[in-house]
Amino acid sequence: MKKEELENINSYLTFKLGEEEFAAHVSKVLSIMEMVKITKVPKSPEYMQGVINLRGQVLPVVDTRIKFGMTPTEFTANTCIVVMEVEVNGESVQVGTLVDSVQEVLEISDDQIQPPPSIGSKYKSEFISGMAKLDEHFIMMLDMDHVFSAEEMLNVQASAEDGKQQAAEVTETSGPVSG
Amino acid sequence: MDKFKKKFLEEATDNLAELEEALLKLEQAPNDSGLIERVFRYMHSIKGGGSMFGFTGLSDFTHHLENIYDRIREGTLSVNQGLLDVTLEAVDHMKNLLQEDDQLSPETEIKHKNLTVQMMQLLETREQKGAAEPVKNNPGQGEQQKTYYITFDPAEEIFDNGTNPLFLMDELAGLGDLYAMPFLERVPLLEDIDPRRCYTHWEVVLSTTEEEQAIHDVFIFVEDQAHIDIRLLADTNLLADASFRKTLDEKGQQDQGLGLDALKALAAGCVAGEAQQGSAEEGRRVVEQVKKDDVLSSIRVGSEKIDHMMNLVSELVTTQARLSLHAEQSEDGELAAIAENVQKLTRQLRDNAFDIALVPVETMLTRFHRLVRDLSNSLNKSVRLVTEGAETELDKNIIEKLTDPLLHILRNSIDHGIETPDERLKAGKPEEGKITLKAYYSGASVHIQVHDDGKGLDTEKIKEKAIERQIISPESILSRKEILELIFLPGFSTSANVTDVSGRGVGMDVVRRNLADIRGEVEVDSEPGSGTTLTVKLPLTLSIIDGLLVQLADNQYVIPLSAVDKIYAARHSDVVDTFNNLIVLDGERIPFFYLREEFGLPESDSETEEIVVVQYDNNRIGMVVDGVIGEYQAVLKSLGKMYKYQDMISGATILGDGTVALVMDTNKMIDRFSEEHQKKIYVESSK
Repeated sequence: MKKEELENINSYLTFKLGEEEFAAHVSKVLSIMEMVKITKVPKSPEYMQGVINLRGQVLPVVDTRIKFGMTPTEFTANTCIVVMEVEVNGESVQVGTLVDSVQEVLEISDDQIQPPPSIGSKYKSEFISGMAKLDEHFIMMLDMDHVFSAEEMLNVQASAEDGKQQAAEVTETSGPVSG
Repeated sequence: MDKFKKKFLEEATDNLAELEEALLKLEQAPNDSGLIERVFRYMHSIKGGGSMFGFTGLSDFTHHLENIYDRIREGTLSVNQGLLDVTLEAVDHMKNLLQEDDQLSPETEIKHKNLTVQMMQLLETREQKGAAEPVKNNPGQGEQQKTYYITFDPAEEIFDNGTNPLFLMDELAGLGDLYAMPFLERVPLLEDIDPRRCYTHWEVVLSTTEEEQAIHDVFIFVEDQAHIDIRLLADTNLLADASFRKTLDEKGQQDQGLGLDALKALAAGCVAGEAQQGSAEEGRRVVEQVKKDDVLSSIRVGSEKIDHMMNLVSELVTTQARLSLHAEQSEDGELAAIAENVQKLTRQLRDNAFDIALVPVETMLTRFHRLVRDLSNSLNKSVRLVTEGAETELDKNIIEKLTDPLLHILRNSIDHGIETPDERLKAGKPEEGKITLKAYYSGASVHIQVHDDGKGLDTEKIKEKAIERQIISPESILSRKEILELIFLPGFSTSANVTDVSGRGVGMDVVRRNLADIRGEVEVDSEPGSGTTLTVKLPLTLSIIDGLLVQLADNQYVIPLSAVDKIYAARHSDVVDTFNNLIVLDGERIPFFYLREEFGLPESDSETEEIVVVQYDNNRIGMVVDGVIGEYQAVLKSLGKMYKYQDMISGATILGDGTVALVMDTNKMIDRFSEEHQKKIYVESSK
């Protein structure tokens, strides 16, 4: 299917971070991988987990939980890497995102989506484009491009600078685990 | 048609490059008829293609040039400097015409007119000279085979005049190669046929050396009883092209006429394919032969396709390593045999793929010859460029980035190295300066040496200059080699007065930096009075490096072997509980970095450590790792945009088990570590 066609359908991939359910539009999702060994890149911000081999390409992997202000991912049998293609400053970039578990692909029509809550969210709400109410639970709709947007990339740089200075004090938080 | 146009642009660019090269050779050997023939052929192909694809400006312009060279070919005009100057300028102009297509910029427009006038003048001179000789109507076209498309649609009552259309066909066939397609779809049922009427019409493809008029003459008596249309298809003999004929055979079976458009498209395809074959006058056999050679010897592939192939091959190499590992561990004999075969094939495929990405040094040479020619003329020097080992091959990405630094080196040689003819004669040298560009393999690298027989570098002058620019202090004592090395420092230029050629102060330092980008090095050697030699050392390919695979905590890293000096074993306590990070190795005190600490990893619990001593400028620095695994050929991959800020790691490579190892850039790494240590000391001392 062509990309434009993909963008016009209302299918979303839902996944869990902790107990919360999130959704990303299927046009952003390239594939879902089970956990493999992640090679940590030294002197990187904490949420940059490292790189993996994706069919011969080197793919950066982001710990989505840290990115969203949660505790770092603990690796379980359900932990997955969702490979996404996002736009950063007009360039498309492939990135692997760690999620606690992948749920399903759902049809969510636009009228099911409500604007995001402005306050009271325990997550960094700027990445959330809306909330969908399905049955009795809420799903947070993610704006994937925004997660990796320009300012965010700047933050990456800034924290890399910080990282440089704090390097000696920082201890390894999560060692790579093979899945 | 756009596809054809693009194809034509590519072909024409190639043809222009070939033309330029041939012209430069012609300058050396003005009487070489083979070269003149080549020059003529390239012009002809460009002209033919140009008119076919609507580059009329280019085509007309080239036509004049072609006329000049046709006359040279006839021997009624001789090659001389002035003529070549105009031709080369015209070639440059043709490049512009190609780029600008129909919308000419004012400058191009003016240039176009000037050059056209100049060419006409060149032609004039010869016309006066040759007036006495019998000249054919249009000698430029005289022996040229052209292909025409003729529709002959006679009126039904044409027989009434006693005309037999078949005789006309015979007559046409007498003019050259004929391919006639009769169309019978108008023939009625048998009972309805009137034998006095003509129901047939023809479409004819004719390749002939005759002028169009001759074809008209064939039909001169039936012109008002038939619909006749004669169109030029191509400036070559299309019927000599087997594929064109075959297509005609297939299409001709259909009831409907082909129509001009279809044929033109067909012809365009053939001409585009044929553009490099040269003119068809050498006969069909030769053309076919050449074509066959062309097809076999090279094809054109987009460079992104090659990049993609290289990626796939490196992926295959890593996958194969996994297969071999698995086969070794399993009991299955058959699997082991298959794995071994796959390994063999993979190795061949890999070698082959890397070979495909290699380009000979030769591809850069035309630009160099041109530079030497133009520059020596404008400086009133006489310089000859001699090349050796032009067949030496390098990765295409390296070649692309190598051209500019080499041009700069050549420019320097001509401007600063080679003396004026007077000075040379006084020094007892031949009037003509000589620059030798030599390329050769040396181990896993390629060396390109540029040697000039000029005045050489004056070490005293360099030293003075360096002191004046405060690059060195007046009391410093430097070896000859160290003084020569000074020319690579930023802000250094030896020329007393700034010329527009070189010596703008952005000189050899830029060359060195640009070469460093492609992991190249440059060295200089000079003998006063007898010349200067610059040697550029380059890796064979950018995509694979020889590295040392080392273990550090859970990860493996690759240290480029070119940086590695020596490996030592050390006790854990020797590297952890030191005060100033110095260790004595081979009686020398060497500063080191404990990489686990620098990377923020926990201290290792092992008793022993290994120290990889690397070269950092002229110092030796130790990098302490958990252990050295061995040598490893690393296929370099970029870490991607997300890790752009990460400069200590120059890339990543995929290991046999599918995991990723990071490739260290030891220079940047040491820079950064030293910076951090200084900061730490500063912070501590200010407490």
